[in-house]
Amino acid sequence: MSSDSDGQGQVRRLLERLVQASAMERIVISIAALFAAVLVGGAFVFVSGGVASCRSGLDVAGITFCYNPMQVFYELFLGALGNPLQAGWSPTNLSLATTLQQMTLLLFAGLSVAVAFRAGLLNIGTQGQLVIGGFVTAITVVFAAPIVPDGFVGAVVLIPLGVLVGAIGGGLYGAIPGVLKAYADANEVITTIMLNFVAAGITSTLLSWRFEADSPNPRTERVPEYAEIPTVPGIGFSGRMDFSLLALGFAIVLMVGIAWLFARTSFGYELRTSGIQPAAAAYGGVNEKRMTVASMTLSGALGGIAGAFWVLMVHGYWLENVPSIGFDGIAVSVLAGSNPLGVGAAAFLFGLLKSGSESIGTATSVPPDLVGILTGLIILFVAMPEFFRMIGRQYVDVGSPEPARADGGSVPADEAADGSGGEDDA
Amino acid sequence: MRKRFRRTREFIDRHPRAASLSVGVIVLAFLWATPASWQTSTLRLAVPIALAAIGGIFAEKSGVINIGIEGLLIVSAFSSIIAVYWLGDGGATMGVSNLWWGLLVGILVSVLFALIFAIVCIEFKADQIIAGLAIWLISLGLAPFASRIVFGNPNTANITRFGNVTVPGLSEIPIVGYLLFDTEPQVYLMLAGTLAGWYLLSRTSFGRWIVASGENPKALDTAGVDVRKVRYAAVLLSGVFAGLGGAGFALGTLGTFAGGGDTAINGRGFIAIATYLLANYHPVGAVLGSFLFAGLNSLQTALQSAGYAIPHELVRTIPHMSVIVVLVLVGRTRLPDAAGDHYESGED
Repeated sequence: MSSDSDGQGQVRRLLERLVQASAMERIVISIAALFAAVLVGGAFVFVSGGVASCRSGLDVAGITFCYNPMQVFYELFLGALGNPLQAGWSPTNLSLATTLQQMTLLLFAGLSVAVAFRAGLLNIGTQGQLVIGGFVTAITVVFAAPIVPDGFVGAVVLIPLGVLVGAIGGGLYGAIPGVLKAYADANEVITTIMLNFVAAGITSTLLSWRFEADSPNPRTERVPEYAEIPTVPGIGFSGRMDFSLLALGFAIVLMVGIAWLFARTSFGYELRTSGIQPAAAAYGGVNEKRMTVASMTLSGALGGIAGAFWVLMVHGYWLENVPSIGFDGIAVSVLAGSNPLGVGAAAFLFGLLKSGSESIGTATSVPPDLVGILTGLIILFVAMPEFFRMIGRQYVDVGSPEPARADGGSVPADEAADGSGGEDDA
Repeated sequence: MRKRFRRTREFIDRHPRAASLSVGVIVLAFLWATPASWQTSTLRLAVPIALAAIGGIFAEKSGVINIGIEGLLIVSAFSSIIAVYWLGDGGATMGVSNLWWGLLVGILVSVLFALIFAIVCIEFKADQIIAGLAIWLISLGLAPFASRIVFGNPNTANITRFGNVTVPGLSEIPIVGYLLFDTEPQVYLMLAGTLAGWYLLSRTSFGRWIVASGENPKALDTAGVDVRKVRYAAVLLSGVFAGLGGAGFALGTLGTFAGGGDTAINGRGFIAIATYLLANYHPVGAVLGSFLFAGLNSLQTALQSAGYAIPHELVRTIPHMSVIVVLVLVGRTRLPDAAGDHYESGED
């Protein structure tokens, strides 16, 4: 018994040392990756402006370059805040509300991905879990609404109920790839990606079978107005902006909760150890299969909550065209190194990008799909810390290279070299 | 069920000749029992999956897991359509049909993306899975972005597709004739690509280097072959095959490219990955596996035109569901030993 806890203590000390040593470097790499993505993205915007047609632009060597990358990024970042440098700026403007609304959803989605990554599982299926969770939320609330009294009591009953069933729906859907991974060795990257397609198929079939509202868009019935997430009266944003500080507050509480779970509970400790050193975790008495299912379920539940808030805060109904919040959650988690508190910061950044994509859509002629490209570039650069170390080494003496991993944790160099990590079982 | 499946695979490994004979019998039974329209549409739908799977085999066998193959299919498909549109739909440039130039552009763009992926993974030691996902996400944004710039819409314009090429004489053979010798160029390319992939991988020294680079890079290094160069070559080859698949699919089957949502590729790159895992990295097996998924795909069209009231949204996901079933049956495939790892020459 005592030797077991000694072993655990050693692993814990080792982990803490590694985390301390690499936390600063990870932050630096994330920021550098962001700048690199903006630079490459800017160059790309400029070049693609040479292909686009426009009336006025920058003429170089007979080609008219239509897009000004500086203007694009100005609109992207400042437009997302509602142009704070202009006169008459108020913090409760629509653009900032959209930014914070997206941040809220991305926080849930990012936490969902981060929980799985920390357990050494690449959950690409947050999107599908979000689709299922949101759908279950919408139909449950619509069907429960006539039973419960309306007004304040209805809100107090229906909103928690909606979020809960969303979490359960997403959690069960997330448990499927977990079970398949644990008991049938089916690679979770492929199964979760496939389950995203299946989720879209199932929900739109159910929608057209029974739940479709009479509307030009394929969507469910609207939930009663009192069942939408209320805004804080007095301070904050008006109800028409589809953003509630309460929701953001809940997301932040959840974020702190997950951080606490990782840092202070034995479940969190076992989860992290399973991600970094599955063999050590098994030696320490962790049931690997159960941990896989549990972490995928938790991850799916968080994705389901993202779907519930997408329904109850943004639209008031479930819409067949679900935006790619789940995929952006991957970017959020990768940029944050799967650290829950980092997820908060990364979610704000991607919230800016999402909201800014609307500003560049109105203020410039650059297609808003640019934000998707930027998201991919950020992930790409975060995935190659060696690139920045090479640059860094030319100026300062950096210590031994330590590859960043999908699970977000740092890996001892020898373990990284023989690569007994999560991707081996593709 | 799974155990039986495992045993079947062991049987295949032990008796390859008997196994291929029984596969032949199954294929013949299939050809006898199904309508010709379904067979031809299955062949055409198999093109992107089969070629992407062969490409993926090269990359993964060399030790680089290329999960970005979906992205390569997307970029090659839409860039080939845009190239044809620019050069002039239905026209010819320098005596060669613009469709062939489009195919070339698609392959080149795919190879360019594969090169970026290779540099990121080999030079900068990126996590291959994350880098592959990044390539996919970049392509997912790039397709509608470029399409909006050129066409003002996430979907491209329509172009005239490849027509059938009939081989005189051979096309008169029953069944095989109309399937293999009276079909579109991309199907010929798929068949040629299969043979080339199989030959390259199992009959040349380059193929042996690729296998060694994935199984035991140190041994390959000791034998005096540059592991990095082999891996670069393998990843670029995966770009060539995926480009051929994506551009061939767009120019021969689609004739347009929908860039919204999951794009017109709709997960076929990931299906390709499942396919080669199912086939245990054998190119010919992967192509046969792609017929399975493509057949399920064309089954949907067949059921709909037959008037069955099956919800089409659900039927559309049949290939995706069957991928999950297949993965559960196959379970853990034996990856090349060094797949996912960086190799540092002269480490110790």
